[in-house]
Amino acid sequence: MTDTRRPRLAKTVSAQLGMLLVVGAFVLPYAHLLLTSFKAPTEVLAIPPTFLPSHFELTNYQTALNDPGIGRSFINSLVVAVGGTALTLFLAIPAAYAAAFYGTRLGRVFLMVALIVRMLPPVALAIPIFQAFRQLRLIDTQLGLMLAQTIISLPLVIWLLAAFFEAIPQALEEAALIDGCNRLTAMIRVTLPVAGGGIAVAAIFAFLSSWNEFLFALMLTSVNAVTVPLAIANFKSQFGLDWGSMTALAVMYSLPVIAVTLALQRRIVSGMTFGAVKG
Amino acid sequence: MARRRFAALLMLPAIIFLVATVAYPLGTLLFNSFFNVKLLTPNRRTWVGFDDFVNTLTSPEVGTAALKTLQYSAFAMTLELVLGFGAALLFYAMRDRSAWARTIFIFPLLVPPIVAGLLWKFLLSLDTGMVNRVIDLLGLTPAGGQINWLGNVDTVIFTVSFADIWLTTSFVALVAYAGLQGLPADVLEAAEVDGAGYWQRVWHVILPLLRPVIAVIVIIRGVDVAKTFDLIFIQTEGGPQGASEVLSMEIYRTMIRYGNVGSASATAAVFLLVMAFFAALAYRVIWKPAND
Repeated sequence: MTDTRRPRLAKTVSAQLGMLLVVGAFVLPYAHLLLTSFKAPTEVLAIPPTFLPSHFELTNYQTALNDPGIGRSFINSLVVAVGGTALTLFLAIPAAYAAAFYGTRLGRVFLMVALIVRMLPPVALAIPIFQAFRQLRLIDTQLGLMLAQTIISLPLVIWLLAAFFEAIPQALEEAALIDGCNRLTAMIRVTLPVAGGGIAVAAIFAFLSSWNEFLFALMLTSVNAVTVPLAIANFKSQFGLDWGSMTALAVMYSLPVIAVTLALQRRIVSGMTFGAVKG
Repeated sequence: MARRRFAALLMLPAIIFLVATVAYPLGTLLFNSFFNVKLLTPNRRTWVGFDDFVNTLTSPEVGTAALKTLQYSAFAMTLELVLGFGAALLFYAMRDRSAWARTIFIFPLLVPPIVAGLLWKFLLSLDTGMVNRVIDLLGLTPAGGQINWLGNVDTVIFTVSFADIWLTTSFVALVAYAGLQGLPADVLEAAEVDGAGYWQRVWHVILPLLRPVIAVIVIIRGVDVAKTFDLIFIQTEGGPQGASEVLSMEIYRTMIRYGNVGSASATAAVFLLVMAFFAALAYRVIWKPAND
């Protein structure tokens, strides 16, 4: 017995160390970003670079927040992401429900089309959308960007929700139909409340997809509707390479979203790997 | 009949939206690629037939961008698959005792691409960059001085993908782990009883069983990595000297900087068709045999 236990313990220890190494390699870069944002601006550019700040200060955050466009870009990002999420859910919930619950041919074709849309390079769509938006006066507006970003989140959320709806037993709704509900009230009163968890995950995905989106924001906005990722990119060209303020901006932009998502972590993982597991 | 009509009615808003924002633009894209249209004068168009397509397919710039896209995609995906499956196998070997590592491993997935690009540009910079510092501390700095990660014309297309690899290896690892958990335990045990070594089991039993999962990863990642724009834009803007300009950026530049809508549309249309072809190929080659 002892002969097999020793190598097994050694194996466990080395595997745990291996995991520590792998996880460390993937987490340390962001830790470096976070720590850099609290350094003094001169220390950010120290040669050779240091990992820990000699002391913590908020100068980089002050510089970033003093830039007149930054506050506005955060408001734009928030408005566009919340509005885009609402629009995505409004379109995706009934469509995914119908595709999953009523296995019609239209439903199957619809899911296939959604998958194809997911594969299109956004830059190909951005060209004609840019032209159309100029005629509709939607260039550089929150509404325009909201519509454009919904193209990206909609297929993803439709597939996510279809997978959740498929997991819900249809017997519940059949019982409600016999009890005198019509199809619409059966959906709203019986199935949607059960799917609440899935819809919450879908909402987070839609929000993240819009919050992180860059290409449409770059091509469809210029001054008024600029979002944070674009403000970060512009920050670079405006002040040369002010790394300190850029790291502070990057932390303010990414950390709150990461924290909220991690808090809801378990559900997110099942959402991120959806479909693949079913093969 | 009422059933089917009700289902169609529920899908109608999404269908209308996709027709207006995807089908109509795609139609315009194809239409434009047969004309000479400039961004500043969209109403003045002259019919040029297949000239835009001929120009696209013979343009050395588009050819170079296509090659760069292929190099970037192949390099990033190979590393993501190897690292991701490596991590997944490690997690799987430890089962429940890897829960902490899997929880933390989700982290890079949540970082916005623009932040990841910015971060890696910072990490890879000369003098102030942490990557060169670590190499220096390990005593591995080459005799010629620090490595100019993002400034070398010959290698930038590979080094610019580090951000991508950092950002999405976790995705591959988590999907692969979920796939591993779904494997039939009896088959794995049978292979072990038959005396197959660990790597033999991985190569001859586990990976073939995971074929559909690998197909999903390759298709999803392949499509995403081929259309990469933001990560490269923030790190190098396609430079130095266009050495990291992939197709998405080439199309963007033709459209915005040169205002040549016709050319950009033709290139985008060809890009689209090639992507669809590769996705279909990946689907047939990797996914299908496993279902037989």
